[in-house]
Amino acid sequence: MIHLSRITPIALLLAAALTASGLAQANENAESVTQILQEKPFAQTRVALQISDGSAEKQDLVLNVAHNLLKFYGQDKIDIEVVAFGPGLRLLFKDNANSQRIDELAAAGVRFSACDNTIAAMAKQLGHPPELNPIAHIVPAGIVRMVELNKAGFFVARP
Amino acid sequence: MKPQTTNKKIQRYLALTSLCAGILAAMPSAHAANWIMLQGTEPAETAPRAEVWGFIQPTYSKDFSNAFAGKYVPPKLVGPSLDSQSSFNILRARIGVRGTGFPLDSHINYFILTEFGNNALTNGGAYGSYKPELTDASVTLNYIPGARIRLGLFKYPGAEEGLQGINLSPYVNFTDVTNQMLQERFPTKGQGNIAPQATPNANMNAYSQPSSGFRDVGAQVFDAFDVGNWEHTYAVMLGNGNGVNMTDTNNSKDLYLYWSSAYLFDKNAKGAFQPSLKMFTWYQGGKRNDVWNTTQEQDRKRYGAGIAYLKMPFRVTAEYMWGKGMIFQGAQNPGNGTTTAASIFNDNKASGGYLEGGWYIPNSKWELDLRYDTYKRNTGIMSGPTPEAKFRTWTTGVNYHFNKKTRVTLDYAFRKDSATTTAVNNQLKDVKGLVTLQVTAAF
Repeated sequence: MIHLSRITPIALLLAAALTASGLAQANENAESVTQILQEKPFAQTRVALQISDGSAEKQDLVLNVAHNLLKFYGQDKIDIEVVAFGPGLRLLFKDNANSQRIDELAAAGVRFSACDNTIAAMAKQLGHPPELNPIAHIVPAGIVRMVELNKAGFFVARP
Repeated sequence: MKPQTTNKKIQRYLALTSLCAGILAAMPSAHAANWIMLQGTEPAETAPRAEVWGFIQPTYSKDFSNAFAGKYVPPKLVGPSLDSQSSFNILRARIGVRGTGFPLDSHINYFILTEFGNNALTNGGAYGSYKPELTDASVTLNYIPGARIRLGLFKYPGAEEGLQGINLSPYVNFTDVTNQMLQERFPTKGQGNIAPQATPNANMNAYSQPSSGFRDVGAQVFDAFDVGNWEHTYAVMLGNGNGVNMTDTNNSKDLYLYWSSAYLFDKNAKGAFQPSLKMFTWYQGGKRNDVWNTTQEQDRKRYGAGIAYLKMPFRVTAEYMWGKGMIFQGAQNPGNGTTTAASIFNDNKASGGYLEGGWYIPNSKWELDLRYDTYKRNTGIMSGPTPEAKFRTWTTGVNYHFNKKTRVTLDYAFRKDSATTTAVNNQLKDVKGLVTLQVTAAF
């Protein structure tokens, strides 16, 4: 027999877990460029997309470009990374209206990198670090990530 | 009750409450748009700091009604001035700003809109009463999951015609039930009734204050929830009950309730043309004071239900609503100019509805529309100066969409009005067709 007195703390813990899910989830650090080159050895084309503008139009554009690249090349033949820094980091905020599209692209193999320098700067303005989409990986500096990807053979574009 | 039993009841209550709170917080707030959400919120983390927007609606109207005994009444004249039977007009010219204010924090968004056009909001009708109006000024706080809070002046949650973005309405004119029963007018003490006038240069509108514009100043709690392909929306608002006028005129507050459940045919679609089948219901209730005798209070209740279907290329909307108290008796009848109660200060009943449909012709820029609306006011009153009257209208319309922001609308309304007394029926029976041509240019 289940006693209600035993259910109460379980229910409270469950409620807390449900409420907190996604809120304080830490984002993982991004793999190094060397590691990602090994992960998709059959990728014939590699593209790094920069988003450093927070407008809705730029967000739509970079997601559309990623989608179009996947559609043309096929997700097994292309390696795409979206690097967000500056105001563009809004794309990777947890409650972004484009979250569903971002999740779908991530499921198709697109990586999303978030600039740690921008996170720190925004934390100063907000009073706390911004909550990011769980699929975003942290890179020390977005522009450095772009440079390193370019040096590794990625085609760099800023839609 | 034994302490042990009480303790168990409290524990059960706490367990269920905390579980429900957790589930509510985890249920994703809907991103699919509807009028409540479209006008009260901004897309999270994408909205700008300030987006300027607005629209202009130059309009031409011609009324083909005949005079009765050489005299005209408001249904036969072009509003808001009710001076003539044909007129060009800038019906609406709105400009506003909306956004997040602080783009890093999407928990707060704002909406401000002004009206410079010539309509019931800016021109009560009496000479010299035109003035631009602040029609919307609100802030939405999106901090509590499932309970967004909107504060300020904005459209109250209610009937579809009033709630929708007016620049997107497929028709130029409101239905009679919306225009008469819902669009509230506010009389001014001392303004008397106007008898039918002998010439079109009649100035038949006896109101000098802005109409409600389906708006109020107050506080609203609202949100929308996705459950599979269903989007459920609720809104609860308390307001002054004084339209776009900034302050209240009595101690009572109007209560607005709204619920809709919409089946989304495409969950990824957003905006005003999201394909869906929406069922909705609403209620509003408040009290008004007679301007001639402010100690006298009158209840004002309105409620309705409807259904709206949109899946290209077709659109169908139907709604029916009821009202009791403060039934509008026409622009020429705010009161009688003496110490007795104003004509609009009544406990009468009214009801009405509409059924409309639209066909967006595939592979073209054309849209065909057809609407039937009916309104009965002063239900059951068979004698006196304000008897039962019926207003029935077929409106045929065509829209040509130059692009998604600019269109031209041509409507022709076949009207049949009547009343139960000979005196009033004589004034209404010669109400004939009304043609309106309007360009809507949004930016």
